[in-house]
Amino acid sequence: MNKLRLGFFKYSCCMGCSYFFAYVQKHVPEVLASFDFVFIKLLSRKGIPEGPFDIALVEGTITEAWQVDELKMIREHSKKLFAIGSCAVIGGIPAIKATSPELEVEKRVYKNLSSIHSIKPHAVDAYVKVDGYIRGCPPVERDLYEALTSVLTGRKPDFPQYSVCIECKLKGNICVLIADDMPCMGPVTNAGCGALCPSMNRACYSCFGPMKQANAPGLAKKFKAMGISRDDIIRKFTEFGADTIEFRKAVEMVYED
Amino acid sequence: MKIDINYIARVEGESSVKLEIEEGKLKELRLNIWEPPRFFEGFLVGRKFDEVPDIVARICGICPVSHMTTAIRAMENAFGLTPSPEVKRIRKILALSQILSSHLAHLYILALPDFFRLNSVVEMLPHFEKDIKRFLRLKEAANSITALFGGRALHPVSMVVGGFTKVPSKADTEKAAWELESLHGDALETLKMASELKCPALENHAEFVALKGKGEYAINGGMISSTKGLNIKEHEYASYFIEDEVPYSNAKRTILKDRGSLMAGALSRINLGFDNLLPDAKKASEDLGFTGGGNPFLNNLAQAVEIVHALQECAILLRGLSLKSVKNYFADFKVREGAGSALTEAPRGMLYHYYEIDGRGVITKANIVTPTAHNFLNLEESLKKLVTENIDKPEEELILMCEMLVRAYDPCFSCSVH
Ligand code: SF4
Ligand code: SF4
Ligand code: SF4
Repeated sequence: MNKLRLGFFKYSCCMGCSYFFAYVQKHVPEVLASFDFVFIKLLSRKGIPEGPFDIALVEGTITEAWQVDELKMIREHSKKLFAIGSCAVIGGIPAIKATSPELEVEKRVYKNLSSIHSIKPHAVDAYVKVDGYIRGCPPVERDLYEALTSVLTGRKPDFPQYSVCIECKLKGNICVLIADDMPCMGPVTNAGCGALCPSMNRACYSCFGPMKQANAPGLAKKFKAMGISRDDIIRKFTEFGADTIEFRKAVEMVYED
Repeated sequence: MKIDINYIARVEGESSVKLEIEEGKLKELRLNIWEPPRFFEGFLVGRKFDEVPDIVARICGICPVSHMTTAIRAMENAFGLTPSPEVKRIRKILALSQILSSHLAHLYILALPDFFRLNSVVEMLPHFEKDIKRFLRLKEAANSITALFGGRALHPVSMVVGGFTKVPSKADTEKAAWELESLHGDALETLKMASELKCPALENHAEFVALKGKGEYAINGGMISSTKGLNIKEHEYASYFIEDEVPYSNAKRTILKDRGSLMAGALSRINLGFDNLLPDAKKASEDLGFTGGGNPFLNNLAQAVEIVHALQECAILLRGLSLKSVKNYFADFKVREGAGSALTEAPRGMLYHYYEIDGRGVITKANIVTPTAHNFLNLEESLKKLVTENIDKPEEELILMCEMLVRAYDPCFSCSVH
């Protein structure tokens, strides 16, 4: 069988997804043996960024114009393109920047802005069509293998579509939202992590981002009823979800209220 | 002749080295760190103190524990909170586990292929199966320690201002300690391997800077010390170190006031703290004739010595934990207006965080200086020296040497720009 050509691209992020990808390869050598690593900068000199690729994985938030151009080029030369990690999937932590006037944020960091060319931070699908989302910050192995094997076997990938609460219940955790009054984001957050935070006695902060049909305004109302301040609620929905429609609805609701 | 090394692979983040040679002389050399800025210090303003550890973790995918710990310590300093000895111990275990992971990844995946003229660890696989297996054993053990306390190895979730939300059971930590102890031989093998790598000669008169402890290999706090006599307290950092913007780089550059460039990282820690290494690591290192040095390429070897030390110290600390109940691992505190700073030794060297916080716990100012920002000027100076001394080498060779030197510093450009 011909090996599938794989490319891994990094934009504005912590590069944790690259590390995660480079490291988890040991677990399923059979799967990985089916890929040819045409481009992954963290691992190899002399890769071929132009592809062509059977599968391209993209990590990081899009924050500069050249990234948009390159991303479009990758899309054109790739059969399948997956966003990997919350930065690429939903804009992630770097998207917090856009919750304030961006020039103000930039001025706090640099006196001389003449060589800074940042654009508004966005997820990858703001610019190109994406064939699947490997969620999480960092992602989990199950979703990565699902993406890779779906391309190998030519079927649609099947990612979890339910909330962290479902995983939390399955684990038999005591609900920290109900029992401890902690502002848990589990009800509106996409599953995948195995309800890690509630299992460690703390509230979910939504590092996997919103699930599709999240009722974010509903949860925001609940937080309000718990006596949490407006600003604190807004911060909850903008830590990882600043660039998402789902969580923006909650923020708008809180502002209007 | 102009050389533009724009594809520097196997480091964290994006950079290029541009140099110009004229009539056999180096005319100009620049390290251009073009990693895009994400403006952490800008958007941290307006966020709540308790979100900060989770947010700054995302500065770096290799040293999230360092960013979290430094931020947490800075805020605890601002709130006047002193963590219990047991919390300190756990923080050190986490830091050591991360130093292990980072050094292992750097040595085996990032640095090693160059020494065999290979492009990647994938190309190494068929010839170095034993070494790669050893790497995986060690890396797995290190990651599982971080995950045991943090919930996951990358971007752990149990670390909060005040302590930990959960601690593992005594049985689990005993098992983890036992696993680490069983890998002592692998760590020594790694050291042996690193000692056999042939590095180019390169002098370097940098001022080596690291945190120094009394009778312990310092990681989370200590005196800021240097090989040229600096010896100051953590909170005095800002009066001695100057951070400046560089027109051709998105990363800022930090120097010592009136003194110039400095070098941070494993080699600095060895140069300053060799005597504080555990006896086994010290002896293994001495047997190889290595007790420190100036050549930046020795940073690889210094990391290997730290692997031997960190593995053992981690196990000792694990064995010493009492792990009574979660309540003992979280201290209550009052949020108050103020400012706080802290330093830790991240895998790649000294990391500084500073925050100003208002009465509601909201950040009004943030400043973060990373190891790579501390090393920036010295790395550039070392590159100049290396090129000058090897100017007659063929271009391909010169390019590889420059890349090897950049990698030897184990820079993190994502961190440096943040
Ligand atoms: S998604 Fe998270 S782990 Fe991945 S690159 Fe972004 S910040 Fe890092
Ligand atoms: S603790 Fe959080 S994730 Fe778990 S059930 Fe309650 S709300 Fe859902
Ligand atoms: S519980 Fe929430 S914040 Fe915690 S790991 Fe899961 S998705 Fe991320």
